[in-house]
Amino acid sequence: MKEVKVRHSKLENTTFRKVSLIVMILVAITCLLPFVLMISASITSEKELINEGYKFWPKTVSFETYKYLWAKRETIGRAYLMSILVTLVGTLTNLVITSLFAYPLYRKDFKPRNVVAFILFFTMLFSGGLTASYIIWTEMFHIKDTVWALILPNLLMGAMNVLLVRNYYSSSIPESIIEAARIDGASELRIYARIMIPLSKPVLITIALFAGMAYWNDWMNGTYYIKNPMLNTITVYLNNVMNNISFLKQKNSITEGLNIGEMDLPSVGVRMAIAFTAIIPVIVVFPFIQSKLIEGVIVGGVKG
Amino acid sequence: MSQEKARIKGNSKRQNHAPLYLMLLPGLAYLIVNNYLPMYGLTIAFRKLDYQKGILRSPIVGFQNFEFLFKTKDAWIMIRNTVGYNIVFILLGIVVAVTIAIFMTEIGKMKVAKVIQPIICFPNMISIIVISYLVYAFLGTNGFINNTILGGQGISWYRESKYWPVILTIVHFWQVAGYSSIIYIATMSGIDAELYEAAKLDGANKMQQIFHITLPLIRPTVILMLLMSVGRIFNSDFGLFLQVPMNSGMLYPTTQTIDTYSYRALMELNDVGKSSATGVFQSVLGFALVVISNLIVRKVDPDSALF
Repeated sequence: MKEVKVRHSKLENTTFRKVSLIVMILVAITCLLPFVLMISASITSEKELINEGYKFWPKTVSFETYKYLWAKRETIGRAYLMSILVTLVGTLTNLVITSLFAYPLYRKDFKPRNVVAFILFFTMLFSGGLTASYIIWTEMFHIKDTVWALILPNLLMGAMNVLLVRNYYSSSIPESIIEAARIDGASELRIYARIMIPLSKPVLITIALFAGMAYWNDWMNGTYYIKNPMLNTITVYLNNVMNNISFLKQKNSITEGLNIGEMDLPSVGVRMAIAFTAIIPVIVVFPFIQSKLIEGVIVGGVKG
Repeated sequence: MSQEKARIKGNSKRQNHAPLYLMLLPGLAYLIVNNYLPMYGLTIAFRKLDYQKGILRSPIVGFQNFEFLFKTKDAWIMIRNTVGYNIVFILLGIVVAVTIAIFMTEIGKMKVAKVIQPIICFPNMISIIVISYLVYAFLGTNGFINNTILGGQGISWYRESKYWPVILTIVHFWQVAGYSSIIYIATMSGIDAELYEAAKLDGANKMQQIFHITLPLIRPTVILMLLMSVGRIFNSDFGLFLQVPMNSGMLYPTTQTIDTYSYRALMELNDVGKSSATGVFQSVLGFALVVISNLIVRKVDPDSALF
């Protein structure tokens, strides 16, 4: 009897609930509207865009921009492939290094683990910053204008992720399993590959998603280290286009929408089309991974 | 006999940690290169550059670079902007995130929440470069605001610095509001439902429930988040301040932060001295603040302390 009553009151539509619903729907729409504007601008005819500006509902629909993108597939497609390559290689390497590093930290019988944990942890407290990091990577390791510049700096292994994996190991893999495997003669590497990895899949998926997002969206490494357009990722390409435009605008040498041959600036609509293409993978993947990402934030936030 | 041999073997294996060291190797190497060498790299700020010897071998001269840096007007502007924006972002951020979390918790049982939740987190998944394109679609010469809302007699948004504190605040919250509410939603979901039932029986309305149950119970999370962001008060969201204003020089008075200054000094002016001086300023103060705020966290909520 009592339970029925409670349940009833839970489903009750109070005024506050209605207000919450309306507010949250408005927030959600606000989150989506800019993307609608971008997509609609990318399929508006160039003429309309220049004369009437960006609108949510184009009068004259044209797919010229996407045809243009296809025609320019050598530069844009190349940047796109570079993004994919960097994201894949970076994420996989990150996953291996992070999960390997977390394993000795998890082993209580590994005496130096406190020292190592401190070495790791200290990087969360103190950082040399971007300038010092840039000088080290370029002066000592000469990664400027190499593909390594897109993969190595900052994104390859983060202390937060290592701790996330270590905590997962500790909370869900009892050390007695490891002990048993060792008595059976399993090597450490075998234990890592056959026990730790399969048993920690959920957290590994989460950190792979974090790393994958970070690589796909990264623009800093490209802006700092890459001058050779052959190595552009899609975000760096977009960034260069924008910089060229604002550079020219500051010199007042063009009006918007004019295409000048020399710098080969994509037109207004095309720019939006490229930006949209750059987020398609995120749009496609996000619905499937969002619950994992949210879980990761909660675990990371609470522990961190 | 053979059993004992096996045990000895097992024991000796336990002592042999070489494979474990080997597993640490790639990560340690990376930490040294990516994190510890740059800490050494901070010494650049105290050197007078001599390109013949190389940046890292230039002679140490003391605080010259800092003197140069703090003699400029830029120093005051960038520190003011960085701290100012951060204070607004932190304080308003807590209000916004907690409010969204309360609303989301309220509709949490409805099916539509499962659609809204990912949508409001989505902007946080997008590269700031793409966001700067989105902002441009609204504010550019042909942008939506100038053409449709202001009816053609537009404002040159990218030339007027006075609008940017508002624009950047809106963009920031558009990007992070939903995502930053997650942690509060999680905390609220841990609150015992019976507390609300009891309050209802006592005749408490929704507002009273929020102010007397929800808010007091999420206070530790709020304080924790607050202290963690205070530790980063000299760090700005680099992408937001560099990309969204499109590097427009006219906007520097309100968009220049320590990070963008450091970037521009290094990449555009080739002024390694000033750039690395800002780096030291940021690293040292950041470290001090993290340690101090952690000491406070440890007092407030020992479980949440970083160390």
